[in-house]
Amino acid sequence: MSEPESKNKYNPDKKPQFNVSKILKPLASLQLTVVLFILSLILVFAGTLAQVDNPIWTAVSDYFRSFYVFIPNQVFARFCQTFRWVSPTAQWPGSFPFPGGWTIGGLLLANLLAAHAIRFKFSTKRIGIISIHAGLILLMLGELITGIFAVEGNMTIEQGGVTNYLELKETSGFMGKVNGPELAFSDYSVPKKEKVVVIPNHLLRTGGKISTPLLPFDIEVIKYMNNSSVEEIDPEKNATVANLANTGDGIRIRANEKNEASGTDKDQKIDLPSAYVNLIDKKTGKSLGTYLASLWLSLSSLKPTQSVVTEDGKKIEMALRFKRSYKPFSMELIEFKHERYLGTNTPKNFSSKIKLSNENLNETRETLISMNNPLRYDGETFYQSGFLPNDKGTILQVVRNPGWLMPYLSCLVVSFGMLLHFGMHLNTFLKQRATSNA
Amino acid sequence: MHKSNLIVPAIAVILGFTYFYFQAAQPLDPAEGFHLQEFARLPIVDRGRIKPMDTFARVSLMVMNDGFQTFKPDISEKEKAELTTLKNKNPRTPEENKTYASLNEKDKRQPAVRWLLDVMTSKFSENHIAEKHKVFRIENDQLLGLLALQPRPGLRYSIEEFAPQLGELEKAGKAADQKENAKRDAFDKSVLQLAHHLQSYMEIASLQTPLVIPAGKGEDWKPFMQAALESRNANQADPNAGMNPAVSVFGQMLLSYLKNEPLAFNKALVEYRSLITKELPVQSEISGFEVFFNHFSPFYHCIVVYLFVFLISCFAWVAAPTTLNKTAFWLCILTLLVHTWALGSRMHIQGRPPVTNLYSSAIFIGWGCVLGCLMLEGIYKNGIGNIVGSVTGALTLLIAQHLSAEGDTLEMMQAVLDTNFWLATHVTCVTLGYTATFVAGFLGIIYVLMGIVTTTLTPERDKSLTQMIYGVVCFAMLFSFVGTVLGGIWADQSWGRFWGWDPKENGALLIVIWNAIILHARWGGMAKNRGVALLSIAGNMITGWSWFGTNQLGVGLHAYGFNDQLAWGLTAFWISQLALIGIGLIPRQHWLSSRIAQQNGSNPAKLQPKQA
Repeated sequence: MSEPESKNKYNPDKKPQFNVSKILKPLASLQLTVVLFILSLILVFAGTLAQVDNPIWTAVSDYFRSFYVFIPNQVFARFCQTFRWVSPTAQWPGSFPFPGGWTIGGLLLANLLAAHAIRFKFSTKRIGIISIHAGLILLMLGELITGIFAVEGNMTIEQGGVTNYLELKETSGFMGKVNGPELAFSDYSVPKKEKVVVIPNHLLRTGGKISTPLLPFDIEVIKYMNNSSVEEIDPEKNATVANLANTGDGIRIRANEKNEASGTDKDQKIDLPSAYVNLIDKKTGKSLGTYLASLWLSLSSLKPTQSVVTEDGKKIEMALRFKRSYKPFSMELIEFKHERYLGTNTPKNFSSKIKLSNENLNETRETLISMNNPLRYDGETFYQSGFLPNDKGTILQVVRNPGWLMPYLSCLVVSFGMLLHFGMHLNTFLKQRATSNA
Repeated sequence: MHKSNLIVPAIAVILGFTYFYFQAAQPLDPAEGFHLQEFARLPIVDRGRIKPMDTFARVSLMVMNDGFQTFKPDISEKEKAELTTLKNKNPRTPEENKTYASLNEKDKRQPAVRWLLDVMTSKFSENHIAEKHKVFRIENDQLLGLLALQPRPGLRYSIEEFAPQLGELEKAGKAADQKENAKRDAFDKSVLQLAHHLQSYMEIASLQTPLVIPAGKGEDWKPFMQAALESRNANQADPNAGMNPAVSVFGQMLLSYLKNEPLAFNKALVEYRSLITKELPVQSEISGFEVFFNHFSPFYHCIVVYLFVFLISCFAWVAAPTTLNKTAFWLCILTLLVHTWALGSRMHIQGRPPVTNLYSSAIFIGWGCVLGCLMLEGIYKNGIGNIVGSVTGALTLLIAQHLSAEGDTLEMMQAVLDTNFWLATHVTCVTLGYTATFVAGFLGIIYVLMGIVTTTLTPERDKSLTQMIYGVVCFAMLFSFVGTVLGGIWADQSWGRFWGWDPKENGALLIVIWNAIILHARWGGMAKNRGVALLSIAGNMITGWSWFGTNQLGVGLHAYGFNDQLAWGLTAFWISQLALIGIGLIPRQHWLSSRIAQQNGSNPAKLQPKQA
C-alpha cells in the first residue's frame, strides 16, 4: 500500500516546472520530516528530564522556546537514576549542542509548506491530509503566539478585600525569562497618590550601580540571588559569617543562596529571590546603608516593606516584590468556599464569589469562579488557583493569551482531517477485502 | 460448514460461562451463625466515599498483609491435632460435633469482615483475639531482628508476637520520620510502613475509623466513638432526647459479636439495616452490589480465561487451526463481555467515566486491546488477533492486579480532576491512544517471532500483518493526538495554560511523535514491512515510559506516585523490547520463514522488499 505522494516524488517522467522546486525539493523530503521528528522526540525527552533539576519554566525556555540548547549529559544520568541503573550520586559532566524548539518547529513548518508547495495537488482525496497539516500549522502558530504574548499572573484577594492589580509570574518569553520580581520604591508623601519607581528584574540580575533621576539615591546591587532561603540571625551563633546588610531587616534576617526551584520539587514551585543593595545618596555620595530586599519579606504579611530615609529626611518604602500589572477594574471577594470530601481533608472544590467593578465603564457585577469554571473578562481569564491559609482569601490565576482559541480550532480541523483520511483508507481497504474474499 | 467447527467453540463458551457463573455465586450466611455477609453490605464512609463495610475490611487487611483479602485465624498445634482426631472419629457425640465445627471453621481462611469485627471489638475483648491474627507482613530482615521475630514462610506476624518490642519500633520510627525521604533506606521505609499499618489498626480498634453512623440533618457521617459520646452527652443534657438509634443498634451489634451471640447479632443487624435502608436507599443498594463485585473479582477470573484463550490460540498454530481459532475467538468474546460488564460496574459504583487513576487505566487499556484485537481477528481470521488480544488483556489485568495492592481502587479525585466531561473525553482518548500503540507493538512482536522462529510468516501473512500494524498505528495516531490536544484544552479551561510541557503531557506528545514517525517513514519508503514492525515494538517502550515512567520522575500535576517495583518492572519490559528489536534486526535470509520460502523455490528478495 504505497502512498501516492511518494509515487509522485520518484516519478521520473515528471519534469520540474519551476526552478524553485529544485531548492524546495530537498526541503520538502519526507526523510527530512522523519529526521526532524526524531530530533523533536529527543528534545522533548531531554526537556522532560531537565525538569528534575530545573524549574519547569527554565526547561521550557531553554529547550522549547529557544533556537539551540546545550543538553547536559547529567539529564541522562537522572534518567538512569530514576530506574536505579546508576548510583543516585552519579555525575556525568559535559553537554552537547542540540537544536531548540524554535529551530525544529520552524524547520518542520518549512518542510511542511515546501511539501505542500511541490508535492501535493489539491484534490478531494487530499482534503484529509491538507486539513491535518493545516491544523498542525495552527497549533504551532498558537504555541508561538503563546510563547511571545501570553502573560500569567496571580490576583490575591483577601476575604472582603479589594484588589486591582495582578502579580506577574516569572515565565519564559520568546527569548528567555521575563517578568521576574522587581525592586519597588514607593513614596507616600503626597496623600492618596502613591509614587512608585521600580527597578526591573534584569537590571538587578546584571548587578552593578543603577542610577535613575526619579530617585534621590543610586542603587548598587551587591548580591542578587535567583532563589534563596531566609533565616533569623542568631547573634551568638552566626558571628563567623559576615552579614552583608548593615541596616533594615537585614540585621535580623539573613538570606542564603539556594538552587533554583526544580520542576520536580513538590514543596516549592517558584523561585524566591533576595538581593543585598547598597543605597548611595546622590547629593552627599554617602551610603544610606546596605539593605536586604527579599521576596520572602514582602510575602510575609506583617510588614511587607521597609523604610529608607534619605539624608534630607525623605521617607521611601522599599520592597522586592512580584512585578505588578494594574488593571482598570477591581475585584472584591464576597465569599470563598472550600468544600472537602466527606470525612477527609481532600479538597473537592474551591470557589470564589467575586464582585467585579469597572469605574470607566460604570459596570458592576457579581460572578462565581470555581475549579474548571473560569471567568473571561477584558481579554483575560481568571481561574480559581489557590487560597490563603485558613481560607482567609482566594488566589486567582490570571492569564492573557491572544492565541488561546487556536488549539481549539486546530483540534477540530486535525480530527476532521484524520477521520477523513484514515476513514477513506479503511473504506478502500475493506472494499478490497470484500472483493478478494468474494 | 463442518460440524466440529461449531461444537468445540460452543463447548468452550459454555465451560467458560459456567466458570464465571460459579465464581459469581455469592457465599450464603449460615442460618445459625453470624450473618457476616449481611454485615459486609452495610454502607459506611471512608476516604470520602460511601462504600460497603466489605471493601473497607478487604482493603485495610490487604494493605497490612500485602496482598490477601482473607486471613487465617490463629490455630495452635494442639487444636490442629484435635481437629484431625475428631475428623477421623465416627460417630461423634453432639458435643464433639460442635467442637469439630468450630475448629474446622478456625482452620479455614476467613473473610476480611470477620477480622474487622475482631479488631472493632478488641478493646473490650478479654481474649484479645484480634492481636493474635497474623496479618502484618514484615519483610525486612533488620526489622524482623529489631522486633525479635524469626523469619517464617509468608512473613506475616501478629501484634502479640512483637508487642514486647513496640518501644524499639517507636524509637526507630521516630528516627526514620526525621530523615528526608531520599535519605531513608529500606529499613527506615519498612519501619515507617509498619508504623503506619499499626496506626490504621489502632484507628479501627478505637472505633475512630471508618465513619459508620450516617449523617443526620446538616451533619457529616461520624465514627462510632464520636457519635456514641455525642449521643451520651446529649442524653445527659436532656434525658428525653433518647439515644441515637443508629448508635445503640450498632453498639448492640458489636456487643453481641463480642459475647459470641449470633442470634442477637443478627437481630441487631436486621434492625440496623432497615434504619440505613430507610435513610439511604440508593447507597445501600450500590453498597450491596459492590460486595457482590468484590467477591466475584471479575478481573482476576478474566485473567484466567484470557490465559486459556492464549493457550488455545497457540495450539491452533499446531493443529486444527480453523476450529481452535474459532474457539479462542468466541471464548475471548465471552471474556471480553465479562470484562466490559466489570468495567461498567465500576463506573456504576463510582458514577464516573472509566479511567480515573492508574489502576483503572490498566483495566481500560486491557479492555481496549482485547476489543481492538477481536475486531482485527474478525476481519483477518488468522489467529493473530486472538493471541495479541489474550496476551495484552491478561498482561494489563495482571498489572492492574498488582496496582490494586496499594488500596481502594475507587478512590476520590483531586479537585481539579473532578470533572466527568474531561475525564470522559481527554482521558479516555489518550488511554485509547496508549492502547492502540501497545496493540501495534505486540503485533510487531508477533511479526518478528513468526518470521524468525516459525515458518508461518508467508508472504500473504507478512502483507496482512503489516496491514494490521499500519491500521492500528493510524488509529493510535488519531486517538493519541486528539486525546493530547483535548488534555491541553482541559488545562486551558482549568488554569489557562494550553500546554505546560509537564512530563506527563510530554509523554503523551512522545507517543504522538512516534506514531507520526512510523507513518511518515512508511509513506516515504524509509521503513517497509519489517521496519514498521520494529518501529512499533519501539513504540511499546515509549508508551511504557509515558504510562509509568513519567510517574517515576515524580514531577508535575499528573504524577500518581512513586513505586520501586514499577521501576524494575519497566526496566525488564524495556530490556525485553530491545531484545526483540535486536532479534528483528537479524538479516532476513536467516529468518526461518525466509529459508523455507527459499527452499520452496520462491524468491524471497521479491517477496520481502529490501529494507531501507
